[in-house]
Amino acid sequence: MRKYHLVRRADAKLKRTLLYYAIGILASLLIGAVILAVLGVNPLEYFGKMFTIGLVGNKYGYRQIEGLLKNFVPLLITSVALSLSFKMRFWNIGGEGEFLAGAIAASIVAFQVTGLPNFVTVLLMCLAAMISSGLIGVAVAALKVKFNTNETLMTLMINYIMLYVIKYIGETKADWNFFLQEESDRPIFGTFPQSAFMGSIPIGKFSLLWSVIIAVALTVIIYVYLKYTKHGYEISVVGDSSATAKYAGMSVGKIVLRTMFISSALIGLAAALAVSSAGTISDSITNDVGWTGIIVAWLSKLNIPAVFVTSFLIEVLQYGCQIAASQYPAIDSNYANLLQGIILFSVLVADFVANFRVVRKEDAKNA
Amino acid sequence: MLDILTLFLFNIIVYNIPLLYGTTGEIMIEKSGSLNLGVEGTMAIGAVVGYLAGARTGSLLAACLVAFIASGVVGLLFAFLTVTLQANQNVTGLTITTFGVAFYYFIGNAVANSAAGWPSLIDTKLGSKTQAIEIPLLSKIPFIGKILFSHMILVYVGIIIAVLMWFYFKKTVPGLKLRAIGENPAAADSLGVNVALYKYVHIIIGSGIMGIGGLYMGLNLGGTYEGSNCWINGYGWISIALVIFANWSPAKAILGTVVFGFFNTLTVKYADLAYAFPSALGWLNKIPSHFFSALPFIITLIVLIASSLSKKKKSGEPQAIGRNYYREDR
Repeated sequence: MRKYHLVRRADAKLKRTLLYYAIGILASLLIGAVILAVLGVNPLEYFGKMFTIGLVGNKYGYRQIEGLLKNFVPLLITSVALSLSFKMRFWNIGGEGEFLAGAIAASIVAFQVTGLPNFVTVLLMCLAAMISSGLIGVAVAALKVKFNTNETLMTLMINYIMLYVIKYIGETKADWNFFLQEESDRPIFGTFPQSAFMGSIPIGKFSLLWSVIIAVALTVIIYVYLKYTKHGYEISVVGDSSATAKYAGMSVGKIVLRTMFISSALIGLAAALAVSSAGTISDSITNDVGWTGIIVAWLSKLNIPAVFVTSFLIEVLQYGCQIAASQYPAIDSNYANLLQGIILFSVLVADFVANFRVVRKEDAKNA
Repeated sequence: MLDILTLFLFNIIVYNIPLLYGTTGEIMIEKSGSLNLGVEGTMAIGAVVGYLAGARTGSLLAACLVAFIASGVVGLLFAFLTVTLQANQNVTGLTITTFGVAFYYFIGNAVANSAAGWPSLIDTKLGSKTQAIEIPLLSKIPFIGKILFSHMILVYVGIIIAVLMWFYFKKTVPGLKLRAIGENPAAADSLGVNVALYKYVHIIIGSGIMGIGGLYMGLNLGGTYEGSNCWINGYGWISIALVIFANWSPAKAILGTVVFGFFNTLTVKYADLAYAFPSALGWLNKIPSHFFSALPFIITLIVLIASSLSKKKKSGEPQAIGRNYYREDR
C-alpha cells in the first residue's frame, strides 16, 4: 500500500503561492548562474547587463527600450488572447499559425491598399488580420464543438501549414508575388509603403509606438471583459465544467465559438501591429510568441494582470539576453531559452507545492 | 534513370527512420494517456549528448545507450512534473521542446568553441561503426536489395522496435494494462494497476527511443554541427503528426514513415525525378517544394478531422489523452 497521498489544498493562498514562485525563480536563476560560472562568465555581471537591458551607461539607451517594447507588444497581446481560450480549457496552441495568418493578411493590405491616410491603412490592416486569424479559430472551434476533434493537434498542424505558406511566399520569385522587392533578383520581402507604418508619439528623443498604447488598453479591456461581463462569467463556467454550463442553460457551443474568434482575432491583431511596427514581414515575424505566449499564460495562471507582468519579465529576459550575449562570446541567446525552461520547470514544482499537500495515510486505513 | 529511382527510394528510408523512432516513442507515451509535445526537444538532447559520448568512446553502442539515458532523463522530468506534480501536459511538453533545443545549441556551441572543437564523424572510430550493413543474400537482390537491405544498423533496430512495440501492445498483459490506463485510468486503477508506475516507465522508455532517433539523425547528417540548424529540424513535430496518421499503431507507423518520408524526400529530390522522367513526372517541377513540406501536416489535419467525423471506424486515440489522473478527483 502507498503510505502517502496527495491532497489538494482547499486554501491555496495568494501570498503563499507568490512566495513559492519567488523561491522557484530564485532557484532557477541560481542554476543559471552556476552554468554561467562554469563557462567562465561572471554571473553577477551578466545578470546585471541582462536585467538592465544594456541601459546603464548607454547614451542611446532609449533605443533599447523602444526595441524591448516592439517585442513586448505582440507577446503581451498573444498571451492575453491565449489566456482567453485556455480559460475555457480550449487548448489553442496554434498561436504561431494564427499569428502568421494575421501577418500575411495585414501585409496584403499594406502592399495593395495605397493612397489612404496612415491611420486608415493601419486600421484596415488590423481588421484584415483579425478576420483571417479569427476565421481559423472559429473553424477549429466549430470542429471541436460539432465533432469533438482534438483541438490541440489541429492547431499544432495549422502552425506548420502556415509556416510553409509564408516560406513559400518569401522564397518564390513570381509576377504575382507583390510581397517581394521588385528590384532584387534574390527573393527578399519588400518594405511596406510609408502609409502602412505604425505611427508613434515622440517623447523627447524617445518615440512611443501607438501599438504599445493599444496593447495596454486591450489588456485592460480583456481584464474587464473577463471579470465584469456576462461573457466573462460564461467563459469561466465552461472552463470549470461544460456540463454545469449546459445545465445552467448556457449554449456551450456558442460560447466556445465566440471566445475562440476573439482569442484568435486578437492574435491576428498582434500580428498586424507587429508587421506594421517592423514595416515588413518575414518568416520569423512571430518571434515565437505563439509558443512563449502559452508559457506566459500558464505561468500567470491565466490571470490577466499577472499575464501583463509575466510577459514583460519574459521579454526582459529574452531581450536582455540578446543584448548581454553580444558582449560574451561564450554565451549566445539560446541561454535565454535555456533559463526560461528552467524557470518554468521550477515554477511548475512551486505551483504543486503551493496547491497540494502530501499527507501520510493513517495506519488504520492500511490495516 | 533506374539509379535515380533507386536512390530516391533508398533516401526515403535513410533520411526518415528518425520519424519512426520519434513516432513509436510518442505512441508509447500517448498510449499511457499522456500527450508529450516535447518530442523535438527530447530528440535534440538525446542527439547531442549521445553523439558526443559516441565520438569520445568510439562506440555506437555507447552512443545509443547515452542517447537513450539522456532522453530518458528528460522523460523522467516530464513524468515527474505531469504524473506526480499534476502539471499541465501541453505546457510541460512545450517547455521541454524550448529547453531541449536551447540545450542542444548551448552544448553544441560550447563544444564547437572549445579548444578541441566539434568532433567530426570521420575522424572518430564512431564513423566506421555507422557504415551500412549489407544483409547477406537479401542485399544482392537487384533494386530491392539496395533500397531495403543495405542500411546502417539503427535503421533495422528502428523497425524491430516498432514491430516489438506492436506485439507488446497487442499480445502482452502489461501492454493491455497500459492501453487500459490510456483509455480510463480510474478504471485501471480500481482493478489494481499501478497507474503512476506504468506512466513513469512508459514515458521514460518512449522518450529514450526518441533519443536514439535524434542520435541517428545526427549520425546520418555526418555528425557535422552547424550553429544555426538543429539536427532534428522539425522531425519531432512531424512525429507527433505521424502518430495521428498511424492511428496510434506502431505497425502502421512503419507505413506512415514511408508515406511521410516519401513527401520529405520529394521536397529535396523532386527536380531529380522530374529530370529523369520528363514525360511522366515533369509536372513535379510545377509544384513548389514548400507544398511537399507542408503535405504531412495537411494530411494529418485531414486525417484528424476525417476520423472524428466518422463514428463507425474505431479510432486508436486513447480516450484519456492529455488529461492528468488525480485519484481524489475520481
